[in-house]
Amino acid sequence: MTGEDYTVEGFAVPDELESVHALLSRVAADHPEIDPMDVMLFETAVIEIANNVVEYGKPEGEVRWRLTLRVTDDEIQADLDDTGQEFEAFTGAVMPGEDAEGGRGLAIAESMFDKIELERADGLTHWTMVRKLGRGLGL
Amino acid sequence: MIFNELDEGTSVTLQPSGKFDLVSAPPLKARIDDLVRAGKPRIVVDLSAVDFIDSSGLGALIGGLKAARQEGGDLRIACAGDQVKAVLKLTNLDRILAPYGTVEEARHDW
Repeated sequence: MTGEDYTVEGFAVPDELESVHALLSRVAADHPEIDPMDVMLFETAVIEIANNVVEYGKPEGEVRWRLTLRVTDDEIQADLDDTGQEFEAFTGAVMPGEDAEGGRGLAIAESMFDKIELERADGLTHWTMVRKLGRGLGL
Repeated sequence: MIFNELDEGTSVTLQPSGKFDLVSAPPLKARIDDLVRAGKPRIVVDLSAVDFIDSSGLGALIGGLKAARQEGGDLRIACAGDQVKAVLKLTNLDRILAPYGTVEEARHDW
């Protein structure tokens, strides 16, 4: 089954992270054919990106976002637009050493997505995130 | 986050629930720091009621582990669910935060 979009909009603040989880739960409920491991890791990665917007988006508490999720035959996709300041492009985030207390978020996200892209247009930051279904833990 | 706490004399078990994330990690880490400062550096974090962890939750566990070990104790985790185990594995943290099957196993030599 493909096609239906799942969307949530609001302020990028800590309390709204629950609505991101809820949206992922709806996708999982509507798509029992997807391996729960895929949804779980995709959710983990999307939350890390959402955390990033919540923590670093400026002006703090005033950034808005819109998250859209979509399932195709072989992928689960997320598009996130936020109104925060321009985010420095990244790729190849390195997983920090085991005694680091921070700095894992983007590395976790990158390891769980097959594609993550960042674009800036019309005052919005647009994140495109894709995970191919059925790749397991992908270690 | 509301978390249960059980002082078992030689160790303390903390039981967070729900999402262990950027909202709930700071208060749990603060409680771990308090316990370590109060001379209770042997801590088990029972994750049986946690269904999701993010990098902030991992950071709190690592920070707590370091604080506990500095005072001659340790921080051990028990009853991790699938998502927690997957994230620990992907971040290579399962080597220093090996998940114990039960709280009793985690505190077996305490």
